[in-house]
Amino acid sequence: MPTPSRWMIKASLIYLFAGFLMGAFILVSKAYPGLSPAWTLLPLHIEVSIFGWIIQLTMGTAYWILPRYLESGSRGNPLKAKIMVALLNTGILVNSASYLDIVPSSATLVGRSLEVGAVILFIALHWNRAVSYNT
Amino acid sequence: MPRLARLFIKTGLIYFLAALILALASEVNGIQFPGLVPLFWHLLMVGWITQIIFGVSMWMFPGRNREEGFRAQKWGWLTFIMLNAGLLLRAVAEPLNYLSQNPAWNVLIALSAITQAGAALTYIIEIWPRIQSKEQQRRQRKKKRQQARKNTGRGK
Repeated sequence: MPTPSRWMIKASLIYLFAGFLMGAFILVSKAYPGLSPAWTLLPLHIEVSIFGWIIQLTMGTAYWILPRYLESGSRGNPLKAKIMVALLNTGILVNSASYLDIVPSSATLVGRSLEVGAVILFIALHWNRAVSYNT
Repeated sequence: MPRLARLFIKTGLIYFLAALILALASEVNGIQFPGLVPLFWHLLMVGWITQIIFGVSMWMFPGRNREEGFRAQKWGWLTFIMLNAGLLLRAVAEPLNYLSQNPAWNVLIALSAITQAGAALTYIIEIWPRIQSKEQQRRQRKKKRQQARKNTGRGK
């Protein structure tokens, strides 16, 4: 498994646990209203569970498992892949900090832009790897 | 495909259908009950997507234990049991908690939250050591072979 995939999959597991813990806290607060401040975690729960867990795991696994280039046997530029990992995770962390009021709410614009950058790099890295060997 | 992966995938497919039937019923017949929207999203994202990810990764990631059974794959089985027990408890207890103020529903909701978080933890325990580079896999295989040889030697 290549390094960027291992980074992404391990990060996604951390986000999975964080997302499920937040979800558990929110769910318990439905039964015990004294814990209702847990609801402030809802946007963070969604960000971490969707972008941090599901999307990141999918991207990391795709980088590992899609066909490599026939001539070089590589998965494309590894630096681009590492930048993709950095952009996605910085984006998630910036958005998370914004939802926790650590940074202004407008910071989500920066966070989402970083995530868009990661997706553009993801597409650039994988477009030519989605091929048929029959052609 | 190992038994556990098949179970994860087939259970995931049932949740997929259940989630969409729930969404359809609420649209067509105007069936509404408290907690329907979060229940729909969690059946879809946890019951279907997360469950299929768990099943496929336990099957496809390197370093799988090929021996079947609870003892050989205890973290995987615990993940399956806790994730599904937690989801089912939620599906029952959350709507009922809105309808009647029985403290039993509160306990079941708390239990549902704990078991689902527990499932995430047991999944991580199972899969984390299997996220390896080719070199790490080679070293692990070599270590296992040496260990097996040692055990055979002791047996003689």
